[in-house]
Amino acid sequence: MTTIENTDFFSMDRRTFLKVVGAIGASAFLGVHHTDITKALEISKTKIIWIHGAECTGCSESLLDAGNPDIVQAIQKLNVDVVYHETLLAQQGIFVDGKPAGTSELNSEILLDEAIEEGDYILVVEGAVANGPNGTGKYCMYGERTFKEIFKKAASNATFIMAVGMCATYGGINAADSEIVDMTDFRGVAFQRVDPSKGMLTELGIEKPVINIAGCPAHPDWILLTLAAVILGKIQLNDLDSILDKYKRPLVFFPEDITLHENCPRRGYYDKGIFDTEFSGDACLWKLGCKGPYTHSDCALRRWNGSVNMCTQAGSPCISCCEPGFFDNGAPFYQEAEDKAIFSGLNMDNAAKIGIGAAAVGVAAHAARRILFDNNNEKEEEK
Amino acid sequence: MTRVVVDPLTRIEGHLRLSTEVNENGVITDAQSSGMLFRGFERILVNRDPRDAARITQRVCGVCPTSHAMASGNALDDLFGIADQIPKDALVARNIIQGLNMIASHATHIYVLWLPDIVNPAYRDVLATIGETGNALWKELLYRFAPISYRIDGVSIPPGKAYVNAIKEKKRLQEAIAIIAGKMPHQMSSILGGVTYRPNVADIGKLASYYYEVMDFVDSSTLGVDHGTWLHNTFQASSPQNAVKFVVEHLQELVDKSLLSNDFSHSAGWGDVELLAAFGCELIGETLLGLPASLKLDRTGGYDSNSSVGFLTYGVYYDVENGDGYDPLEFGKTGFQKAAFITNSLEHQKFDHRNVTEEISHSFYTGEDNLHPFDGVTEPVIDADEINYSGNDQSKYSWMKAPRYKGVPCEVGPLARMIAMEEPLTMGLIKSFTDNGYSAANTFTRMVARVQEMLIISEQLRKWITSDLDPNGRFSVPADLNMAKDSQGIGLWEAPRGALGHWVKTGSDSKITNYQMVVPTTWNSSPRDKNGIPGPIEQALIGTKVSAVENLLGIDNSNPTGIYHAARSYDPCIACAVHTIDLTKENGRNKRVFDIV
Repeated sequence: MTTIENTDFFSMDRRTFLKVVGAIGASAFLGVHHTDITKALEISKTKIIWIHGAECTGCSESLLDAGNPDIVQAIQKLNVDVVYHETLLAQQGIFVDGKPAGTSELNSEILLDEAIEEGDYILVVEGAVANGPNGTGKYCMYGERTFKEIFKKAASNATFIMAVGMCATYGGINAADSEIVDMTDFRGVAFQRVDPSKGMLTELGIEKPVINIAGCPAHPDWILLTLAAVILGKIQLNDLDSILDKYKRPLVFFPEDITLHENCPRRGYYDKGIFDTEFSGDACLWKLGCKGPYTHSDCALRRWNGSVNMCTQAGSPCISCCEPGFFDNGAPFYQEAEDKAIFSGLNMDNAAKIGIGAAAVGVAAHAARRILFDNNNEKEEEK
Repeated sequence: MTRVVVDPLTRIEGHLRLSTEVNENGVITDAQSSGMLFRGFERILVNRDPRDAARITQRVCGVCPTSHAMASGNALDDLFGIADQIPKDALVARNIIQGLNMIASHATHIYVLWLPDIVNPAYRDVLATIGETGNALWKELLYRFAPISYRIDGVSIPPGKAYVNAIKEKKRLQEAIAIIAGKMPHQMSSILGGVTYRPNVADIGKLASYYYEVMDFVDSSTLGVDHGTWLHNTFQASSPQNAVKFVVEHLQELVDKSLLSNDFSHSAGWGDVELLAAFGCELIGETLLGLPASLKLDRTGGYDSNSSVGFLTYGVYYDVENGDGYDPLEFGKTGFQKAAFITNSLEHQKFDHRNVTEEISHSFYTGEDNLHPFDGVTEPVIDADEINYSGNDQSKYSWMKAPRYKGVPCEVGPLARMIAMEEPLTMGLIKSFTDNGYSAANTFTRMVARVQEMLIISEQLRKWITSDLDPNGRFSVPADLNMAKDSQGIGLWEAPRGALGHWVKTGSDSKITNYQMVVPTTWNSSPRDKNGIPGPIEQALIGTKVSAVENLLGIDNSNPTGIYHAARSYDPCIACAVHTIDLTKENGRNKRVFDIV
């Protein structure tokens, strides 16, 4: 029987490979790590246009921290053609007396337009799309046009769109509560916070398949593994609902029924009811404000930066940076969550079903919290 | 007169537009630098729990998030009144996190963002004019520094060896940070009161191993000699003259050996630094070494002799020799990288943050002008018709404000820090340049200062990791939210690209009422001020020749390498620079600027 564990991708030709991959479910494939994906990328040539809106470039930085495949492997050996990426490419926009000058080998504006017109590419969006002021999009411009125009053009001709990081998915810090948030009016690709009706695609009347890679920044594995699955047709673009949650996040990385808390390296302390009340200790971080029980990510298993560490292991409360509505839902970051409304999509049932030997106090506290969060959750969704 | 606009300037963080006028001699005669994004960061911070600022402000910039976390942490330590109690080992851990990020950021800038400009096809054509040596050199440059997805004349060029290895090292450095800080970018460890993690002996061992791997990269790529030898003869040279003498003699040896064989490989002794120092710089390469050609980077990005541009640094890294605690108001007075304001004639003055003001006459804001960050009352333009980036010296044209120190525009970054610490090689080079009629600050000196700082910090880092960090020490002190009631805090620090200041104020509920950041690229990429004085990058562009090697092969406005070199040498970070901008909530109390001496 062919299983993902006993398959040698490297001994196969392209046809056999696709057949074998086809026999394995999408989630199983996405769950695979490292070298198998290397092979997966090797057999197909795919163009990627990566555009930057209102962002901090943290997700591109994160991409550079990828391993197995790393970014250079992906591009050089694995036939992924990064046609346009503002932080990496050699070209820049050049205008002489108002007109784009030269050719696509030197001029990034010409390159971008040519690549968009050619079509047949995956569009990766990093950063929110400015809609303000007053729907003009002029709060973010480059190459003599608004990012909103660039996004519209690039999105219209894309095969599919991957929004990377909290800004591109849900607006992120740009859409956090403030006095001016309505004026700046930053939008995610398919959502504004939890609201799909305010996604920039809806605003522009464009319909395209979208996958959201949440996280602040997005984990490089989440980005590259998802791209690999799409490239191989393991994710059917006309049937995304089966592998995504209601916020369009891949379930395999952002599971609905499991939270970070379940696999937290400090979980043993929680089960014993041992809580840190000051920083730089070893125990459970709940009382220091950890939002791990409300965060649907695989951070605790996958971990970060070559799997050397992750937030709670390093003594930092989880700030729930991959849930829609970050930064408001997880804040205040260093305050126990009972004092604060938390967010949508949570499932505390598992958290409450702690195994035998769990501290009764922990269970009771969580049961109470669950009710509180569910109520607040509804409020957030109505908003 | 031709209008040559680079927009976007890629291979930087964020969206920057450089608009220039080029005359018939190919010389840039006017320049405007425009930040192209408004996010409203500081408005987002108002009314929040101040402790969250160390996490939120990192999202200003994913390239140097640690610097924002540190500046914010300092401001919070001060706000809560506990800066004098921060345990020594927490300060060491913060130094390690920052030191690692400084090296990672510099390496990324040098190899991934800046060096791809050296393999611009214009240099192939220039180098071809000196025959076999030029062709061999061009091949070596491509082999080392070509970026990804690179094509010349339709031919794909594989990414360069140094480029690829630098990305690997950068990745490793991020892993090293993650060992004590959870993850990168947006590290989780440095917080109000210290750090969240107590590193154990195994962590220290791992950090040391990462350190040695990075130094292996330095010795096998960046430098042609062992880094210890290099630092001993430059950073620890007995005089600036001797530091320059060492470099020139070292290069002379290489040149003598290689000009016949045309072997410019690393095994022939040519580190990346040696290649750039000999062939990138007119003064060293052509004048001192007698080479037939150079890329003349020292002829780009300089200031006019009448320029008023000064240099500014707030100082960085805690002085851990002093044990627990630090004084946020005296920050940068001790330690190995100190605060200073240095005038255009290189006179050192004591830094006093009260001399910092921001102007908005050419920025897309309305309201009162020329205020200390703490009193900023600035509102973004909301009428879309007023947002016009093709402005001129009479109009508003950028989302960056114009920070000034005593009214003077200032260059910030590695060069300013190296001048402030009177680093021998930097000072020796500056003297050679000024003696020969060049600008002290130019593309070449900025890049040398960046490399030199990377090496100097790596030595310091070894000490912090292997001898200062005590796994049995304390790593945080507790603080209650009430301690931030009606308070204020100042956080001074240095990001890789220059001076970074955070100022925070809180109300009676301990929530933030005002948060201000004045960041490096706002200094460097500043627009004009109310007196019409251009910012440092604008001034560095004016007078630079637009195309390669001082228009050696004619004027090519469609490939304005002079603009790329000059602007990128500052390592611009636009998301930082346009993080912008607060409306001060006047609460009737504490309307004062910090009174520090």
